[in-house]
Amino acid sequence: MTHARRRTGRTLALLVTLALLLAACGGGKGESGGNAEEQDAVDPVRGGSVTYGQEAETGDGWCLPESQLAISGINVARAIYDTLTAPNAEGEYVPNLAEAVEPNDDFTEWTITLRDGVTFHDGSPLTAEVVKNNIDAYRGQYEGRAALLFIFVLDNIDTVEATGPMDVTVTTKVPWVAFPAFLFSSGRLGIIAQAQLDDADSCDRDLIGTGPFKIKSWNKGRELVAVKNPDYWQMAPDGEPYPYLDEIRFTPIVESEQRVNALQAGDVDLAHFSDAQSFVSLNSLADDGIVKNRDSEAFAEVAFVQINSSKPPFDDVRVRQALAMAVDRQDYKEVINQGLFTIASGPYAPGAVGYLEDAGYPTQNIDEAKRLIAEYEQENGPLPPVSYQATPGTVTQQIAVYLQQAVKAVGVQLDLATVQQDKLIDNAISGDYDIMGFRNYPGGDPDELYVWWKSDSPVNFGRINDPEIDRLLDEGRSEPDPAKRKAIYEDLNRQFGSEVWSAWSSWTTWRISSQPSVYGYTLDTLPKLPDGSDPFTGLATGFPTMGLWVTQ
Amino acid sequence: MSSNTLSILKLIGRKLAQLVVVLFVVTLFTFLLVRLLPGDPVDLLVPVSTDTTDESDRAIIEARRQQITDDLDLNDPLPKQYITWIGGFVTGDLGNEYTVSSTIPVSDAVTSALPPTTQLILYSQILAVLLALPVGVISAYRQGGIFDRIANVSAFGSLSLPGFAIGLLLAYWVGVRLNPSLPTWINIPPQGYTPFPGLNPANWSFEPRTPDSVPDHFFGMLLPALSLALGQFAVYMRLLRSDMIQTLQEDFILMAKSKGISNGRVLWRHALRPSSLTLLTVAGLSVGTLIGNAVVIEVVFGIPGMGTLIASSIIGREFITLQSSVAIVAIAFVVINALLDILYSVLDPRIRNVRAA
Repeated sequence: MTHARRRTGRTLALLVTLALLLAACGGGKGESGGNAEEQDAVDPVRGGSVTYGQEAETGDGWCLPESQLAISGINVARAIYDTLTAPNAEGEYVPNLAEAVEPNDDFTEWTITLRDGVTFHDGSPLTAEVVKNNIDAYRGQYEGRAALLFIFVLDNIDTVEATGPMDVTVTTKVPWVAFPAFLFSSGRLGIIAQAQLDDADSCDRDLIGTGPFKIKSWNKGRELVAVKNPDYWQMAPDGEPYPYLDEIRFTPIVESEQRVNALQAGDVDLAHFSDAQSFVSLNSLADDGIVKNRDSEAFAEVAFVQINSSKPPFDDVRVRQALAMAVDRQDYKEVINQGLFTIASGPYAPGAVGYLEDAGYPTQNIDEAKRLIAEYEQENGPLPPVSYQATPGTVTQQIAVYLQQAVKAVGVQLDLATVQQDKLIDNAISGDYDIMGFRNYPGGDPDELYVWWKSDSPVNFGRINDPEIDRLLDEGRSEPDPAKRKAIYEDLNRQFGSEVWSAWSSWTTWRISSQPSVYGYTLDTLPKLPDGSDPFTGLATGFPTMGLWVTQ
Repeated sequence: MSSNTLSILKLIGRKLAQLVVVLFVVTLFTFLLVRLLPGDPVDLLVPVSTDTTDESDRAIIEARRQQITDDLDLNDPLPKQYITWIGGFVTGDLGNEYTVSSTIPVSDAVTSALPPTTQLILYSQILAVLLALPVGVISAYRQGGIFDRIANVSAFGSLSLPGFAIGLLLAYWVGVRLNPSLPTWINIPPQGYTPFPGLNPANWSFEPRTPDSVPDHFFGMLLPALSLALGQFAVYMRLLRSDMIQTLQEDFILMAKSKGISNGRVLWRHALRPSSLTLLTVAGLSVGTLIGNAVVIEVVFGIPGMGTLIASSIIGREFITLQSSVAIVAIAFVVINALLDILYSVLDPRIRNVRAA
């Protein structure tokens, strides 16, 4: 699933969580300077401190069942907390804080066996009872905690029982093949200590996890400082516990240009980016040896035009198709994304189950688009002007104007509406829009996107009401055969392509850039998972900071 | 008690009475303005659609919306909401930030956000005045000369550039490009905030890049303060120049010159003081503008001040935080201007006497 993401505060987090940020900032792959090779890397060094520049503050804090975390919040959460499962290089969810996560024969009952001897930062032990309480809190069944979005995401859970000191049994309403993926939930479903779970006054800022770092201080808007957890349960190859660093500082720098400046000036040791302009600047810095970059579009989010299909004219597939056919996406890539970032073929990024190189999404065809519009107008009268809502950012406005010109060529009048981000959210919630810029659907297991598309879901912002999509979502959720499952989600991808429920732009490439002295975030230096499998290749949900080290 | 002291006390009393009225209007206006913002805070706090066909989902959503509405007293009539808030406000209780996970007093957020903003505005005012004084005086003295023309062009240039654009340019060219070539004890970062390490000199460090470093604080604030100051400098310089030109034509200046007093002394001791009254007033009035500009500058430079707090409150529709923060800024603005008004009278007895009469 995906949970809520923006802001310095609540709204930015919310925005990104709900995947609002505009098609603009989509990701992609740098032409140069990306994916630093570290063959010449020195052996890991213990000690030291790094400052990690984040794109936003997490104003709501980290009371995880209630938090609305964006990427910046997830980065902190993954340093402080552990999730029961974690994805590996193949996109499979393997045990992490759990020692095993096993289903019964028909996938209606899952038994989570916990690792022995793990303690929280306050010294309390990890037990089945605490994990049960956590899962209950996430699904809105724990007194004193008020989760919201996770309630819908984990709606398929029927019961949660501590069936032994270290065993938790979860039963589901329908067979749930991808349940382990939901125990990760883009890194948001960390296990918090009982004391934090019951903390009515400061659950958001007195963080107690089992993770590699313990919180030392949080000066909201300035920095969150976390120090090494000397009792961490995961062992590094040198036989000592992770992490390598003594300290990690997360500092929000909202302006991406300033994040580049801070990196160049040495004020931060590493930072993350997802906008084309920063990529261009960082490529140049990488060429000069000032920074090194690692890019990934694996399991990425997708930037797209969200279409409100519940009202005219976009309740008619012909108008949606005409919208898609009006745009030359290669030209869009050159003009808007400076030639960077891969054009999206559908919601599933490369690496994810359901990904197709060609999902049947319409290519530019002005004549056919005109014909479809004419056919629609013949039946329904003249096509009314439609509005495109975008936030005031430079790139989002460029996109708006680009789209306006593109659809004008097929006879669609696009009125541009500039709205603040919070209003954009309101409009998405209330359905008070025609089309708007969005970014969402980070890859993982395709079933995690169920909640965004199911016709009766409260977060189905596109108002998609397609019995075929509903059927495929339900089938995919309970299908245990990987091959059949893959076919189901590929069909779903094609259904999106033919029905144009959304107009795809590009996949978001995330980039981690660092000083040359920082190691431990590239594919050849990332820590392996506890089961020995290779690390996850995506960056949309952060990476494990326990493996970072610095040589100076 | 001398008549002078009495008239000043009367003036202060009158100002305080006006202040109460102004503050009532300001807080009421702030309160109403916040309520008139588009959108419903509940939508933001419960970011899911209510038109779901799933009954149990709808029940959960409605219950959560109701809980937040109750917590924020959004169903109370506006007068009651205002009285509740202002009652707490005047006793120092600014209310609580609304989060689902915790209770955070707004006073905590304000206490931590006020120092950076106060410092930013103070430093930018000092920089603006320090730049404007010599340039304004010399421009007036050399009216029409090359220095005057260059100063005027520079002033118009800095006026025409928005503060955030200046900020980004300074961040790159000074913070990134120039900083590495400066002596090691000078560290001008492109962004970030280093707090001033308290009033106890025993806690001060003069080493750069160390905790409690005093130089890091001042050099760290240099670029944001300069970004704000350049626009103000232009206004101050132009005002001072124009006032100085007038003053230099006064009889008492001619008298001073005829007595053989040096040009420098005439300019700095005799002409500057009467010419600085407008500058002083405008500097006070500029506090509001500076606070407005600080919102952007604080975001650009990553300074966790009142501007950032207000901006995040607007985006997050944190009613209580927003109205309390804006009210504090408005009160500061009104109080500063009232103090300046009093100072104005002290500096120029003619004004005090006219008002007293």
